[in-house]
Amino acid sequence: MLKVDALSKHYETPGGLLPILSDVSFMKDAGEALCIMGPSGSGKSTLLHILGTLDPPTAGTVTLGGRDPFQLSEPELAAFRNREVGFVFQDHFLLPQCSVLENVLTPTLVANDAGDTQTRARELLDRVGLDERLAHRPAELSGGERQRVALARALVLKPRLLLCDEPTGNLDAASAGAVADLLFELYTREQAILIVVTHSATLSERFEDRRRLTDGRLEAT
Amino acid sequence: MRAQTLLVRSLLHYWRSNVAVVLGVAAAAAVLGGSLVVGDSVRGSLAATALERLGRTTHTVESTGFFRADLAAELASLPSFSEGFDAACPIVAVRGVATHATSQRRAGDVQVYGVDERFWNFHDRPVPELGRRDALLSEALAAELGAETDEAVLVRFDAASEIPGSSLFGRRDEAARALRVTVTGVLSPGDLGEFLLRPRAGRVRAVFVPLRTLERALGLEDRANVLLVSAKTREASVDALETALGEAIALEDLGVRVRGVPQAGAVQLDTTSALVDGSLQKAATTAAKNLGLRVGEVFVYLANTIRVGEREVPYSLVAALDPASLEAVAGVEVTSADGEPPPIVLNEWVAMDLGAVPGSRVTLEYFLWHEDGRMETGSTPFSLAAVTPLEGRAADPDLVPEYPGITESLRLADWDPPFPVDLDRIRQKDEDYWDDHRATPKAFVPLAVGQRLWGHRLGGLTGMRLVPETAADLGETRGLFAAALLAELGRRGAPPGFAVVPVRQAALAAARGSIDFGEYFAYFSFFLVVAALLLAGLFFRLGLEGRLRELGLLGALGYPSSRVRRLFLAEGALLSGLGGLIGAFAAAGYAALVLWGLRSLWAEGLGTRDLDLHLGVASPLLGAVGAGLAALLSVVWTLRSVQRLPPRMLLAGTLEPWVKPTPARRRRKLLPAGLTLVALLLVAASGAGAVPQTAGFFGAGGLLLAAALLYAGRLVAGRPSAAAAVTSVLGLGLRGVSFRPGRSVLCIALVASATFVIVAVGSFRREGADIEARDGESGGYRLQAWSVAPLHHDLTSAEGRAALALEGVALEGIDVGRFRARVGEDASCLNLYQPRVPTVIAASPSFIEERRFSFAASLAESPEEHDNPWRLLEREVDSEGAIPVIVDASALTYVLHQSLGDVMSLGETGVRVRFVGTLAPGLLQGELITSERHFLQAFPGEAGYRFFLFDVDAERAPALSQDLESHLSDFGFDVTETAERLRDLHRVENTYIATFQALGALGLLLGTVGLAAVLMRNALEQRGALALLRAVGYRRAHMTRMVLAENVVLVGLGFLAGAVPALVAIAPVLLERRGAVPLALLASLLVAIVVTGALVSWLAVSYIRRLPLVESLHAVSE
Repeated sequence: MLKVDALSKHYETPGGLLPILSDVSFMKDAGEALCIMGPSGSGKSTLLHILGTLDPPTAGTVTLGGRDPFQLSEPELAAFRNREVGFVFQDHFLLPQCSVLENVLTPTLVANDAGDTQTRARELLDRVGLDERLAHRPAELSGGERQRVALARALVLKPRLLLCDEPTGNLDAASAGAVADLLFELYTREQAILIVVTHSATLSERFEDRRRLTDGRLEAT
Repeated sequence: MRAQTLLVRSLLHYWRSNVAVVLGVAAAAAVLGGSLVVGDSVRGSLAATALERLGRTTHTVESTGFFRADLAAELASLPSFSEGFDAACPIVAVRGVATHATSQRRAGDVQVYGVDERFWNFHDRPVPELGRRDALLSEALAAELGAETDEAVLVRFDAASEIPGSSLFGRRDEAARALRVTVTGVLSPGDLGEFLLRPRAGRVRAVFVPLRTLERALGLEDRANVLLVSAKTREASVDALETALGEAIALEDLGVRVRGVPQAGAVQLDTTSALVDGSLQKAATTAAKNLGLRVGEVFVYLANTIRVGEREVPYSLVAALDPASLEAVAGVEVTSADGEPPPIVLNEWVAMDLGAVPGSRVTLEYFLWHEDGRMETGSTPFSLAAVTPLEGRAADPDLVPEYPGITESLRLADWDPPFPVDLDRIRQKDEDYWDDHRATPKAFVPLAVGQRLWGHRLGGLTGMRLVPETAADLGETRGLFAAALLAELGRRGAPPGFAVVPVRQAALAAARGSIDFGEYFAYFSFFLVVAALLLAGLFFRLGLEGRLRELGLLGALGYPSSRVRRLFLAEGALLSGLGGLIGAFAAAGYAALVLWGLRSLWAEGLGTRDLDLHLGVASPLLGAVGAGLAALLSVVWTLRSVQRLPPRMLLAGTLEPWVKPTPARRRRKLLPAGLTLVALLLVAASGAGAVPQTAGFFGAGGLLLAAALLYAGRLVAGRPSAAAAVTSVLGLGLRGVSFRPGRSVLCIALVASATFVIVAVGSFRREGADIEARDGESGGYRLQAWSVAPLHHDLTSAEGRAALALEGVALEGIDVGRFRARVGEDASCLNLYQPRVPTVIAASPSFIEERRFSFAASLAESPEEHDNPWRLLEREVDSEGAIPVIVDASALTYVLHQSLGDVMSLGETGVRVRFVGTLAPGLLQGELITSERHFLQAFPGEAGYRFFLFDVDAERAPALSQDLESHLSDFGFDVTETAERLRDLHRVENTYIATFQALGALGLLLGTVGLAAVLMRNALEQRGALALLRAVGYRRAHMTRMVLAENVVLVGLGFLAGAVPALVAIAPVLLERRGAVPLALLASLLVAIVVTGALVSWLAVSYIRRLPLVESLHAVSE
């Protein structure tokens, strides 16, 4: 279970405190999904980064499976992120020098007891329809294909939490639809908690639980 | 907004990358221009040193003998002299050795000068007060001897007697003269302490003693052998000085004596050498004929015995006369019949003593002195043609020239000749004859017979008689003849035995023609320059790659590609120009740094610390233009490669699209293999001697380096197969080299270039030598020796050892090579000046047949010459009048700047030599080697042997060295180990190598900078992906491992791509020198590269750590 309780985040600026998030709370169980929407600068990505333990909150707690990652040491936190969280960003952030398969395997290289990751990576690439392109480089893929690789990479270690930041933002409608289909298919099959932040109404409409960030507060739509 | 505005804005906006480009070009320009400035500085410094050593001397008048010191004043008083010259000063200059009287410390190759107040006045210096036995030392000599003021020093110097040691009456056992002096001061170079007439590198060991003292030590009075001359203008010519000299010179200065012999009614011509050479004979004959004088020719020799039957007369002088003179002495015509012994005429005294009558068989026994030092007794039967009364022309003691130790003796028993005499054979009647008739010849033979039996290469006569046809005043005739003879001798250039040398001009030429450091530094800085240009190109490329979107945008806005190119080219040109300009100024700094290194770190090898910066405009400018143009070319190339990308990729800021392999690309894959093949063929050809080693090395090295870089490029751009996916963080790091293959290859190229230079050049280092190997650097000789006074006797023969008092020295079983030597300038790499008249040594026939040392190349044609190239020395003088010589290959190329087959004139000696063979670098680097036969023809005045090599085992060498030095100390015999000489030579080579390795290390430094820049640029461009990795759990240790892995691959490939081609290219050299792979060098280089790589990795990891994680993700995703 992902439990977010009274989460706040503000930054100190020369002009004083700049509040980004205020008293954000919600809970999600395995297999559940949440879509967070909001205008630019509303704090969507900040919330996503806090959920992904990339940025600590100013106040409040985040627990995943009963563990508060912000209580962990730096190495433990890295290991936590590695095993518990999967990321998909608007930019695919694939390593251009690595093949499709290698890109999917990158998280496994620093994971302990990850099992047969090669098989798992091939299965995921099979599921996202790239089983014929394992040795290809990112430069040889379309935008949608690259994002599908990024999705496979995010799920390769079976994370509890899948965080997506505008996963279809750089894609045309057809590609965006295909990626969205895959996203839902995979998170359901993997029984992960899916949190997506997006501007896309098309994508958000696929979610039962849609919320909007307004003035740092999370409100149901 | 105008295009210029856009240009300025761009330059300012991208100032960071622009500054990097400018610095890269500046580095290249500084290195290139600085190298040329180093060359200018070395030449300038050498010239300055040589001129300082000459003082005010611009010309010298040098003589093989001694002339009147007053000649200087007489010359200076002539109007023909005053027109172009303003002063002349006599000195005595000889070479010698010096020994500290107390410590016995010894210094060889010492310049011994006899000077008086005229010398100091000539140079406008205060005249030091020197007592009769006082001496001033140069700083170098004082330091080497450890001599302080008021301490005694023994100076030994050669004083060849005027009568050639190679003739019967010459002194062969005459040791070097010795002079014990007290040091009264030490002269700095600025105070003429290093006064030197022939430029040469290294400190000068000189001792200045009063002229009168040195003259006395030489047995002379008011004599000099060098005139220093100072010209008023640079235009003053050698011809003008020769003309003036011709006017001032007297026959006495030429060693020619002309005197009246009243009892013979003739004028007598003879010489201080007791021999009349061909040119003097010819001039005297012409002068005599012009004056209507009849010429009589005389050759006098000593017969040990005149025998008829059992009766004999000991030690008699025999005169060989021209037919007319012989007939006049005999009173009858003297002819020889075919098949009969040659005729002889005896005076009454000896005929009576022997009981000889006309027709008697008379046998003459005499000593014959062979050139190789052997003396034997010859015997020739004669037929007595006539007996002449001991009166008139037959009673003429003046026919015999002055033989020191003989003619001046009051008694026969007092003779002190340079050959063995048995005084027991001398009878009272012989003493009586000597009392009454002195050296009057007792026998007369035809001139042709005498010359055939006893003739000497230096002259076929011992005197000439000039007889007036009619009665004339002998004094007047003598004067007329002397004047006519002088006029005849001065007809062509300097008088015989004299040379006018434009020493100032020669010194400047020697400095200009010295080892061209500018050229060498430019050569060996080549890789450094390339590294700097690669770096500049890399930075320009990095800057351009960061502006891909700008390029795409300009295209999208309708800018024609040519316009875009011009815009960016203008930027590149401005940056290159600015870099070149900065580099031109920095060139002085670079040159100053190198010169500092040459003066301090590498001074031991170069033998000089007198190197100052000589900065002109041309060299830095040349460096700036060269580097600027090269950088611009690099910009053009970079721009072209980037502009080839389609606009959509440019707009997307994407590089290096996947390109489907085409047949052309596939063919290109064969290129490295092709290059490797050609390179290996070149190596093989070089090893077999079909291609010169240098060409082979550079050709093969360049091709292999290119091939290695192509292979490396293919490796880093390689596509992983699905099956070979990375399984570790290290593997992922390794994959990093493929991120921007072009950049990676550039980094590899930077490291490879530097490695290539360091390894290739380092492999040429010489450490030690195989002294035992007869075909090695030492020729199998363990000891070498130079003797100040020549040795005429054979060290290896019992009689030679007896003559030299070496009976106690264990020379049995030791192979001794002895060489005649005409000591000139050092032709080895120890001399930074270009020698004009190098030292020439003569190889004996036995040495030639021993086939020692190895040949680098030769002009051998016949099977015999191919079999033993030393036999090339037996070739005849060629059509250009050049004698064949063999020389060390390094000396020929780098010091003499000549090639195999070239002809070189040896300055004022008039001797021409042709280089017929080159030796592999080794012991004989400083000399030209010819055969004894050619040597004696070329330098007839050089007698005896001065250079020796000893093939002795290690155990006996120290004792032999000590014994020889102690027994032959009077000759100034200086023995050194050949290993020591080779170490000196190696030190010079190793110094050059060290300097060039230092340049390679600078290249490595540039490579490091490039590598760091590439890694950081890669990190910047991949910051999102790197942030994502951190987001998915990669920690700092993982990042470090990744960067390290990438780095290891880049520097490792660079190391291999540089080291392997270098080792393959130099394989022929290593094999020839029996060298081993320089493992220590490779190991230390590897350590340096590892350290470098670690430093770069640390920089890159620190940079990556500083990249903000969240912002890196945020900046792109939101």
